[in-house]
Amino acid sequence: MIRFSNANVTYPNGVSAMKDLDLQIDDGEFVVVVGLSGAGKSTLIRAINGLVPLTSGELGVNGHEVHDLSRAGMRELRSDIGMIFQGFNLVDRTTVLKNVLMGRLHKVSTWRTLIGRYPQADIDIAARALARVEIIEKTYTRASDLSGGQRQRVGIARALAQEPSILLADEPVASLDPPTSHVVMRYLQQISRDLGITTIVNLHFLDLATAYADRIIGLRDGALVFDGPGSDCDETVFESIYGRSLTADDTMAKHAAL
Amino acid sequence: MTESKLRVSLMPTPPEGVELPDKPRATFRWVSTAIVIALVWWSATGIDAKWSRLLEAPGDMWTLCRVMFSNMEASEIPELVGAMWESIAIAWLGTIIAALFAVPMSFLAAENLVGKPVAWITRQIFNLLRAIPEIILALAFIPIFGLKPMAGVLAIGVGSIGTLGKLFYEIIEGIHKGPLEAADAVGASPLQRLRWGVLPQVTPEITSFLLYRFEVNIRASAVLGLVGAGGIGSDLAEALKFKDFGTAGLGLIIVVLGTICVDTMSGAVRRRIVSGKKAMLDVEHEALLNEGRMGV
Amino acid sequence: MTIVNETGPTAVPELPAKPGPSVFAIGTAIGAVVLTIICARSVGFSLNEIVTNFTRKNSVVEGLLNPDWGQIWSRRSRSAFVETLQLAVLGTATGATAALPLALWSTTFGNPNRWLRLIVRSFNNVIRSIPDLLWALLFVTAVGIGALSGLLALFFFSLAVTTKLTSDTLDGIDMGPIEAANAAGANLNQMLRTAVVPQILPSYTSFVLYNFELNLRASAVLGLVGAGGIGARIEFFRGRGDWEKLWGLVVMFFLVVFVVERISVTLRRRLV
Repeated sequence: MIRFSNANVTYPNGVSAMKDLDLQIDDGEFVVVVGLSGAGKSTLIRAINGLVPLTSGELGVNGHEVHDLSRAGMRELRSDIGMIFQGFNLVDRTTVLKNVLMGRLHKVSTWRTLIGRYPQADIDIAARALARVEIIEKTYTRASDLSGGQRQRVGIARALAQEPSILLADEPVASLDPPTSHVVMRYLQQISRDLGITTIVNLHFLDLATAYADRIIGLRDGALVFDGPGSDCDETVFESIYGRSLTADDTMAKHAAL
Repeated sequence: MTESKLRVSLMPTPPEGVELPDKPRATFRWVSTAIVIALVWWSATGIDAKWSRLLEAPGDMWTLCRVMFSNMEASEIPELVGAMWESIAIAWLGTIIAALFAVPMSFLAAENLVGKPVAWITRQIFNLLRAIPEIILALAFIPIFGLKPMAGVLAIGVGSIGTLGKLFYEIIEGIHKGPLEAADAVGASPLQRLRWGVLPQVTPEITSFLLYRFEVNIRASAVLGLVGAGGIGSDLAEALKFKDFGTAGLGLIIVVLGTICVDTMSGAVRRRIVSGKKAMLDVEHEALLNEGRMGV
Repeated sequence: MTIVNETGPTAVPELPAKPGPSVFAIGTAIGAVVLTIICARSVGFSLNEIVTNFTRKNSVVEGLLNPDWGQIWSRRSRSAFVETLQLAVLGTATGATAALPLALWSTTFGNPNRWLRLIVRSFNNVIRSIPDLLWALLFVTAVGIGALSGLLALFFFSLAVTTKLTSDTLDGIDMGPIEAANAAGANLNQMLRTAVVPQILPSYTSFVLYNFELNLRASAVLGLVGAGGIGARIEFFRGRGDWEKLWGLVVMFFLVVFVVERISVTLRRRLV
């Protein structure tokens, strides 16, 4: 379970990206966060695994107070949280398998990592993760030889290999075309349902958000302005989140038609 | 582990079980690693080094440093700085002389300006000149010119023609064809083509490489004195020979400071010159990566 | 042909003022010329002298034109030859290997401690400004003559060269995989090994090969100060004025260097 209590984040340059946030996300939920660039979506997501520290307030994740954690404790927490990035963040020069095995790093001893010999059990977990996103035939392919959609699937496999209880996705489809975006979102939805993983996704496009989310969280200038099921989201709600009427940029279908 | 949360396992697996495809063989990597290990083993066992002294070496070095840096005398500074200046002067002149020869010659080595055979011959001349260390050239020039800085200047000059020439022709070959075509289209003579099509594109980079080579040559000229070709090297060698460790220590510091100084100033000028391009300031670095792409 | 100007009489339009070459460019050009003149004076440069000396008959050039290939049969020269190669291999193997961790320690992501990073960077700067032969001279003074001093000298020289090239490459790597490794809970060493090293491995290997080329040349002359290799033989022949033998040895060694370099360049091309 994730709980923000009166949480604030102010960056060194003075920008306030999270204002008095009170939010609880229960286990197994599939949540989509929407808002303009700079509204605080990225900050919210990165606060959960400690990549962005809170300036004040409290954040409890799986029973731990995030700001109380030591470095080792932080690593332990992060190993239980998988993250998927807009830019995929794969090591281009190595194989898909090596990339996915990065998800097992916390469980594998440093010595073994340095010499590159992972235990068979961990390789099996990586294999199952790859099978789940249906990309196992590319195991020994170099990451740079894959398409964008395939790379993001590898990113998902890497996160899955951690056997996490929480999955964070920071604009996972922003670099992908519409059909591929739907494929990736479907994988995320399926994984969340089948495996019971709490999933939080930042999205830019509203039609994607309403299509896949059980629950939508709208942020504006760092503050929570909407929290409810997708069915409750109509044009007025979106306009309150975006502060203006919708444009073609806000929907994937219309943006693709541009 | 503090709180043990039940880890989610990646079930259900697909019914047919999960199998990874076959792992490809990395023969090249195995063979080359084996060769390298063999070479290192051969060298380590074959070399006639008094390994017993290896353990004492750190202690010896520490003693030397202590003795060098605790006996320094400020009165020596002017003379040593003068000697360092001489080394810098030798390096600068040598670089300029090398440039005077290398720039025209590099045009003869560029395949986009002259034919392939001519380019090939010029390149081999460059390779030959690059292979000889400056100090051996210095050894050769001293009997001819005497124990004077001139020998050093020429040693550095001749030694640098090869490297500069190679760097220069690679730049020339990398230029855009556009201005060249434009020059041809208006009926320019070869010399005009050079002046208006080639030079404007290559001058900043050539200057940058020149300065880089100057930085490298400072190091070379500092040691040329060890064999008597002028500069601070001879002061250092003499000091160590006569166990005047204080002077040697001072000289060492002056060499390090002088080199860092030249590097910094030269680096600043280079930064100004190439600013605006994707500035890869280490010329050596860029040349190495280019070598991989451009071939011999 | 008249120039027709639609808006007015047929006068030639006035061009804007031509911008002159930048102050910086002029300044550098003048600076360079002045520097050259000053240096020429300091050094006692004389074109006349060059010409007269070069054209004079001398044993150096004569020896060069008639090198003694018999050096290959000389047992002492051959063993010095081999020692030179071994020094180059070992110097590269040790120095270039140590350069990787040292380069990683000088980066922000590889060394979160600011002061430690500063120390490592300063250390790198200092060792980079000491030429190979000077290292050799220092070690010979401290440790004694022989191959060990040469090895130690090459170790530090290689360390300096490879660390510089590697840290420059590290400055330009993709931070994405680093973020991913940290987000997955990896510790520092795991992160470096899986997210950083694979990115630079081809370049790093290329630098090691380049370092080897430099070391071959360096090891040939280390013996001039007594640190092993053919340098001692070179000094021996020079002392006796035996230029034919000297050139014989030198030319043969550098033919080998030439061949090794060609191989190295081909290998490096495969990497980058």
